[in-house]
Amino acid sequence: MSGFVDLYTAGDTFLHRMDPRVKMLAVLLFSLLAFVLSELIHLVALLAFIFLLLVLVRASVSRTMFALKFVLRFMALIMVMWPLFDPSGTPVLAELGPVKVTVPGIVHGLTAAARVGCLATVWYILIFTTAQRDLVRALVKMGVRFDIGLTLAISLRFFPAFSFLIDSVMDAQRARGMDFAKGNILTRSKNYVAVLAPAVVTALRMTDTISLALQSRAYGARADRTYLRDLRMRWSDYVAASVVMIIFAVPVFARFVLDIGV
Amino acid sequence: MIPLPEADPGQRIVSLHDVKFTYDGGVEALRGVNLHIRNGEFVAIVGGNGSGKTTLAKHMNGLLRPTSGEVMVSGKPAAGLSVADLSRVVGYAFQNPDHQLFCTTVEAEVSYGPRNLGYHGPELSRRVEYAIEAMGLGGFSELPPLSLNLGQRRRVSIAAVISMDPRVLILDEPTTGLDAGEIRVLMESIGELNREGRAIILITHEMKVVAEHANRVVVMADGRTVLDSDARGVFADLEVLAKARLVPPPISLLAHRLASSGISRDIMTPEEFVFDMMRARGGP
Amino acid sequence: MRGVRFVHAGSQARALDGIDLDIAKGEFVTLLGANGSGKSTLCMLANGLVPHAVPGTFEGTAEVFGLDVSKYPVTVLATRVGMVFQEPESQLFCMSVEEEVAFGPENLAVPKDEIRARVEWALETVGMNGYNDRSPMTLSGGQKQRIAIAAALAMHPPMIVLDEPAYALDPIGRVELFSLLKRLKEQHGMTVLLAERDPEEAAVYSDRVVLMSKGKVVASGTPRETLLDVTRLRDIGIDPPQVATVSALINERLPRQAMSSITIEEAEVAVSRLLSTRPRSISR
Repeated sequence: MSGFVDLYTAGDTFLHRMDPRVKMLAVLLFSLLAFVLSELIHLVALLAFIFLLLVLVRASVSRTMFALKFVLRFMALIMVMWPLFDPSGTPVLAELGPVKVTVPGIVHGLTAAARVGCLATVWYILIFTTAQRDLVRALVKMGVRFDIGLTLAISLRFFPAFSFLIDSVMDAQRARGMDFAKGNILTRSKNYVAVLAPAVVTALRMTDTISLALQSRAYGARADRTYLRDLRMRWSDYVAASVVMIIFAVPVFARFVLDIGV
Repeated sequence: MIPLPEADPGQRIVSLHDVKFTYDGGVEALRGVNLHIRNGEFVAIVGGNGSGKTTLAKHMNGLLRPTSGEVMVSGKPAAGLSVADLSRVVGYAFQNPDHQLFCTTVEAEVSYGPRNLGYHGPELSRRVEYAIEAMGLGGFSELPPLSLNLGQRRRVSIAAVISMDPRVLILDEPTTGLDAGEIRVLMESIGELNREGRAIILITHEMKVVAEHANRVVVMADGRTVLDSDARGVFADLEVLAKARLVPPPISLLAHRLASSGISRDIMTPEEFVFDMMRARGGP
Repeated sequence: MRGVRFVHAGSQARALDGIDLDIAKGEFVTLLGANGSGKSTLCMLANGLVPHAVPGTFEGTAEVFGLDVSKYPVTVLATRVGMVFQEPESQLFCMSVEEEVAFGPENLAVPKDEIRARVEWALETVGMNGYNDRSPMTLSGGQKQRIAIAAALAMHPPMIVLDEPAYALDPIGRVELFSLLKRLKEQHGMTVLLAERDPEEAAVYSDRVVLMSKGKVVASGTPRETLLDVTRLRDIGIDPPQVATVSALINERLPRQAMSSITIEEAEVAVSRLLSTRPRSISR
């Protein structure tokens, strides 16, 4: 398990170059849009648009499928299970006891699955095109305190190291005859103490060194620190932000103001 | 339990046949290793960082399984045995003892392994006592392992493996972070375990320690064994050592430089050097 | 430093027990001592981590470049003294090499162009230019240590302190590290303070060696003055350099030789001279 550290892939597409704040805004708005839209056809259009973005950023199909495999399974599950529990409307396709499969039921299932697909894919694109340092920098620029941003950045940096540490500790305990697969819930929980305790102790030692290292590099010397790689909005970013807001505003306006079914 | 009477000295206890291993990310860590460890041997596996020595060692107790090739332990294929099964024969003490220690007392820590293997009662106590004595930890039994210094913690982690009574003990860089006095104490205990009949596999790049304790040295570089000889033979071969990112002890280098003046090339300690120098001089 | 005493919080023993020590600008000083001798604590005194960041009781006075360590915060002292710790992994906390090296100057609000120049210079000095966008996790131990040094150098400190920097390095990594430190002293005029358990490099690179034991300075002098006395070294838990042991052994048997070699180069010269002069008579 190496977390989502690996998902960022450097590239030079327009999305890679876009200011992360605009991307985060887009992700937020598209996520909301996925819930605002209730017609299947519109959701499929949104999904298609998002997939077009995936193509434009040259995400490899196999890697995307692998990263999203849980999402895809979940979507498949929804598409299969939903109609079994949603007997609304006509026409009825099949009936077995209390279970009634109807066409509207199937449509609702597909709609829900499409929503999940939109959400997951749009977040994936964000992580795929944005380096973690830029995400954290964006948050700090938008008002998050620097030390919180730094804490987040350091946690992300050490996440794979910690995960590697856990693997190492599990290996060490396996070599002492520990079998993680055997036993009831109680035994297995006790087994995990044998992994968590050394991992936590080692991690705490590491954080001690990190803290000394931070201080040794004058962390906190001045409130007005410089940022070598800074984020600056360009006109293309403003254009993109406007486009995103329009794409969002139109259906919302239609639905809530004009009361057109969207 | 001491020594291991059924063990036939000279018989192969761990064998690797053309073992290749590639990590998930595509890194080829082992490129066809053939290695046989016999009962009672004291082998040092040396190499720079990235040579594959730790990867190799993890194949011996099943923590890693070969991508191709075969590993035999005690005459049986390791493939069919779990890590827990193999831990009865091959003990592995990790480089960082803090990755293993989690109990509230040294005694509990040392009992953990044999308990997992199903021992209890007087048999368990016997093993625990033996291991604690063997590693010079008598008097520390009731102390929390985390209150001990690095050298002591390392001995606890080794005791925790000894108590499982393995025939082979793998020690991964056990001298890291220890000063000269602590190394001496540790290696004495290890030497004693070896004399009792256990095979010792020492993974290290500390050439001074190798010079003083190993009778067989396997040099690894780039996932292959490039030399497998007695310690003297290895120290005489500067070229191979350099390829493996290793530097022989200063005394070895000195002996090499003075080879033209009559000093033999396979000197390993200062005492040997002076002795040889006196011989070369022709005086008393 | 005068009369420095320090007790770690939660400990009984004095980590530093009455230290009087002077380090001159541009000197390469090695603190040599066994584990627990106080050398790490002394290192952390140089940039103020002791007493500001490490909990404990502090007595005495310590000044670095004229600044009283107890009166100035670490953030100020850090501009005079760069610090490198022994664990390469945990002292690199950024996601790219460039961020890591830039972190220090960024905190000091150095202008962007200046930071860029410093990052390039620091990476060039440690021999890692071009690695700007690499993640520290993909680097080898030796490379990580060099980035840690670069990160310290970027703050343009006149002095650099390293606590057992070769801890995680293989023999070739050690050699590369010490040649870098030598360059820092000779080409950049930096003062280098280093804590070590192994005296071999101290003999070759140091201007001065300070022997430490149980929180006290046992001796301070040139490498020859401190490393030839093999008995004293062993008493404080350090194995003497192998060549020094050879000198001592030769002096025992041939007192008139007065061998004083501590490096391989010196020994080569002295021993070949010895070997080319045969004894005039066979005496016992």
